[in-house]
Amino acid sequence: MSERRTRRGTGSDLSRTTAARAAAIAEQLHHECAILLELYRKTENFPADVADGRLVSVPPPSSQLDTRDKLWRLHSALLQCRSLLERAIAKEEEELGGGRKGEYENQRKMVKERLSLLLINTGELLKAADGPAILTPSLEGLELDGPTILFELKLWVYRIFKEVDYWTKMTITTLKGLPSVIVKEPARTTRARRSTRR
Amino acid sequence: MPRLSVSPSSKPNCSLIGLICVFLGLSATHTHAEIAITVPEQVSLLANTNTQQLSISWLGGAATTFDLIILRTEFNETVFYGTVSVTVNQVSGRHEWNWTSVEPLECTSLSVRIRSRDEQMTSDWSDTQILQGSDLPSNKDTQMYPQDRIVPVGSNTTFCCIVAEGEVFDSINYSSTVMNATRLSRRTYATTVVNQGPSRSTGTNVLCFTRLRLSLMGAVVFVGYPPQPSDFVCETHDLTSAVCLWNKGRDTSLYGRKRRTRYSVNNRDCTDSNPLQQQKECSVPQWEGNWTLVAVNPLGQYSLTDSAELSHRVCPVAPVELSSVVHAWNATVQWQWKYRSYSSLALVCQVELTAAGYKKKRTITGVGLRSAVLSDLHPDEDYSVQIRCGAQQNFWKWGTWSKPISFKTKTDVPDTPDVWMWSNRDGTGQVIWKPLTQRQSHGQITGYDVTFWNPEENRQHTVILSPDTSAVPINLTQMAYFSSDNKVIATVTAKNADGMSQPASVSLHLTDVEPIAVSRAVYTDKGFPLLWQSNASATCSFVVEWHETSCTYDCPVDWIKVPAGNTNVSIESANFQPGVRYTFSLYSCPSDSPELLQRWQGYTEELVPSGSVSLSSSQQGSDILLTWGSIPMVDRRGFLLGYNVYISNGSQLTLLANLSDLETRSYTVKGFSMGSYKFTVKAYTSAGEDTGTTAFITLEPYTDWLILEILASLGILSLLLVIATFICYKKRKWVKKAFYPDIPEPKLPSDWSSAQGPMDVRPSPHSMVHIVEKPEWDSSKEVLVVIPEEDEDDEGQGIGDEPVDTDEPTSLRYYNQVVDERPIRPRFPDSSTSSASSLDSAHTDVTYTGIQTSGSSLVFQLDPQGSSEGHQPQADHSVSCGGGGYRPQMQPRAPSDDMGLASAEHLLEPQAACSGGYKPQSSWHFDSPMEAEERGSLAPSLGSPTSIASTQFLLPDGEEHEEEKRQQSSSAATWFTNLLSSTKP
Repeated sequence: MSERRTRRGTGSDLSRTTAARAAAIAEQLHHECAILLELYRKTENFPADVADGRLVSVPPPSSQLDTRDKLWRLHSALLQCRSLLERAIAKEEEELGGGRKGEYENQRKMVKERLSLLLINTGELLKAADGPAILTPSLEGLELDGPTILFELKLWVYRIFKEVDYWTKMTITTLKGLPSVIVKEPARTTRARRSTRR
Repeated sequence: MPRLSVSPSSKPNCSLIGLICVFLGLSATHTHAEIAITVPEQVSLLANTNTQQLSISWLGGAATTFDLIILRTEFNETVFYGTVSVTVNQVSGRHEWNWTSVEPLECTSLSVRIRSRDEQMTSDWSDTQILQGSDLPSNKDTQMYPQDRIVPVGSNTTFCCIVAEGEVFDSINYSSTVMNATRLSRRTYATTVVNQGPSRSTGTNVLCFTRLRLSLMGAVVFVGYPPQPSDFVCETHDLTSAVCLWNKGRDTSLYGRKRRTRYSVNNRDCTDSNPLQQQKECSVPQWEGNWTLVAVNPLGQYSLTDSAELSHRVCPVAPVELSSVVHAWNATVQWQWKYRSYSSLALVCQVELTAAGYKKKRTITGVGLRSAVLSDLHPDEDYSVQIRCGAQQNFWKWGTWSKPISFKTKTDVPDTPDVWMWSNRDGTGQVIWKPLTQRQSHGQITGYDVTFWNPEENRQHTVILSPDTSAVPINLTQMAYFSSDNKVIATVTAKNADGMSQPASVSLHLTDVEPIAVSRAVYTDKGFPLLWQSNASATCSFVVEWHETSCTYDCPVDWIKVPAGNTNVSIESANFQPGVRYTFSLYSCPSDSPELLQRWQGYTEELVPSGSVSLSSSQQGSDILLTWGSIPMVDRRGFLLGYNVYISNGSQLTLLANLSDLETRSYTVKGFSMGSYKFTVKAYTSAGEDTGTTAFITLEPYTDWLILEILASLGILSLLLVIATFICYKKRKWVKKAFYPDIPEPKLPSDWSSAQGPMDVRPSPHSMVHIVEKPEWDSSKEVLVVIPEEDEDDEGQGIGDEPVDTDEPTSLRYYNQVVDERPIRPRFPDSSTSSASSLDSAHTDVTYTGIQTSGSSLVFQLDPQGSSEGHQPQADHSVSCGGGGYRPQMQPRAPSDDMGLASAEHLLEPQAACSGGYKPQSSWHFDSPMEAEERGSLAPSLGSPTSIASTQFLLPDGEEHEEEKRQQSSSAATWFTNLLSSTKP
């Protein structure tokens, strides 16, 4: 997976506020994800320990990563999550939808909208930390088609929900681990990174 | 075909040759069969995994019957074995046969072998042909079959799970149900779900679990129904195109891109985007006259057709652009049509008018209708109107309702008020009218005018009232103009911004003094039906008024006006309450000269009385009178039917009486004994009894009789006393003689009184008489011993110190056994008339010469024999026996000169010689009961005359002899006999 980013500058106060807001949104999203997963498990009679395995690919975590790289990694993962989630919802509606809408559908929609809100905040945070560099993660290589067999499709959807849940937790952890003042570093040129599957 | 040939041979070799021939013959026959039945070749397998059908083809020569065997390759288990008849496919030249597997063909490898059969002869089996399953070792992952299967409701489906290499099978779950699994091969397990019910929209999951749960595999199955639409029909709105409608029917339970039902009308796709919508619709641009609906889903398809002419299927669209022209009593509604073609269409339209929550439909017709006049509206009222239309000719159905349009009619003068009056018995009353409703007001009411006028004198008086007024108090007795001819008319008019209403009149009248007979009105589900006699000449209308019977002054009254000629009306009101008595009064000619014609009373529903009687009880002799008061009208809650009188016995009530006469409000309870009683009286209506009132009473003895009895007893007693007193008075001499005999005067031998002074009977100070008692009479020993003075020390010290001329100590000593220790003093002869005088005497008047034995000893003999002689001792007897001694009480003997008392010495000597001697009167008193028994009871002494002073019996004791004892024991009876005999003339 490759991505590009540009830099922009912003104030530290704004960064603190944005980080706090993003953390709060992530907390809320994490709660909503837990509900969504529970609803899906009950609906599909899935066991709790099913369907592990990552769908999102970002650079591996490292203590060497600075704040900007951590934010960039986070933002990239969340972007992939949203793309996967949107695709999962569309695929599910196409192949399995048409019935009466219920609590599950409402919760799924809520998670999707909350994830978009979180992405806006992490994007702003990244802009604040990364100056004029604009993060443009590429979704190339992301498996968005989904399986054709319906049971596998269901497992795929479930994995995507778990992926959203996982990266929401990562967002909470990362944002809480950020320094209180995000120091604007010197501008860097656009770079490309080779991502690896975690 | 080889033939069996037999050749002749020599006799000895005949059997050997025969055997050879048979062997050859059999061999020839076998060779012939092998030649005729060929072994199937080039067996080919073609699997359809969706239908789980295995197509088997082979080259089988001329044979038409084959044996087939299908086995699970790994476990060599037979899945199918049978003989089938198969013809050669003319195109391919091969034999073809299809077999449908219960299990998915991917579950495990299947081996197929075929042999030809000709009746009992079969060929060799063909080479085994294997259909490779998905459980080959090369395919290591966990798998589940079938995937995404769509089956009808009620079918059975077998699922198989191929566990991954190295994993151990655990279970197969159908939804949340753990299924029983069968092992088909080393890695394959299968289960069959029977009679499957409809699945949810996302299908039913079938999950395969392994022990370690390293991976989850499963399949989704969709169970549903084929489509079954209904009510397919096509119509036109614009008079050109067709709109076809149908109902999708039952839910197929199949959703999603590949499973949803697809519709087409005349081969035009009519699949909508909302599979949940029940009513489906599809437009066809031109009216084709014939339509076919086809509904298809993976489980089947369903077709419906319809055909019609356009003019028979016109369903107009809803009118648009509605507008209105409004007046007070009518309005005109106008609208437009979406299509110009409607202008020439004969239409029938419905106008739905909604006012105050009520809906009313009106129908109008016409070509190209665009307006409707709405008459009979009410002023100042809000209306809402909506319209729909249909084709007047070949009516098909009503079109869609237009959007409603609202308007409010204009105002107008109010309606005439409904006026009546209420008069109290004291001449006061009210002119009352029903407040005008919104529909009657025709605008905001600004006030009322009430005019009183006398048509004879043409005088009038007007009162202007506020709009919230509905009554005016009147006092008929104070109306000056009323008293003249008793006729005043009250006129009421209502006012609003548009003017005044028509006047409403009522003639004021006094309440009839004499109450009219009241009938009973029975409530029905239609109200109180009231009937009255028809009066053919009557041209007046009627008014029926009603109010609560318990109300008597300025009552809230309601009324209804009945047109002339009617003889009945049914009264119903929302204000009627159960348990409330209403009085209905029928008046004729209400506006001119009201006359009360009839009166009824009734209840909508009778209840048990809410109050109880006031009960009191009282005792009347041995009876109990219960009295109670009446129940107030408001508490009766029904027509009282009577009273029940109960007696309470603990918690139980025992009915004593049922009193159906309402005027009887007392009851006498009879026949009860003394004690406490509790009585309960309950009034009852047709609904039952009230709770009752209880009275306590304690029945007490009749004191008057008791007092009477006491008085009577006292009276009788008093009478007896009077009689006794009278008899005593009359017989006083006898009484005196019987009870107080005169003490005989001592007979003196000489005249002591004149020549000598009274004898001093005091004992000698130098001697005392000592009575010595002995159980056995011994005249020689029992003697009166003169005790020397010095011998008295132990009996009474100090006596010797007393003066000798004092007789009392001496007397005491002498009568030492007398209870009353007072000295017995001799009485003067005349002292018998007054005992008191003898008591007061300080001197001893009696001189006992007999004991004046100075220097000699006297012995008192206590001989019963001597005393048994009787109480009339003879003087000579006494002398001869010496037992009598001196007996002063023997009055009969007193005058006798034979006593021999000429001198004291003469007297005393025989006495001293007689063992009886003188006995003091105190001898009857015994010291011990034993002695008393020996002597006899005291009772005989009661009849003996006694000395008042001595309280001693003066007559001899009964101890003298037994006969005398018996006589004395009945001395009381003797006395009574004497009393009776003395009273006899």
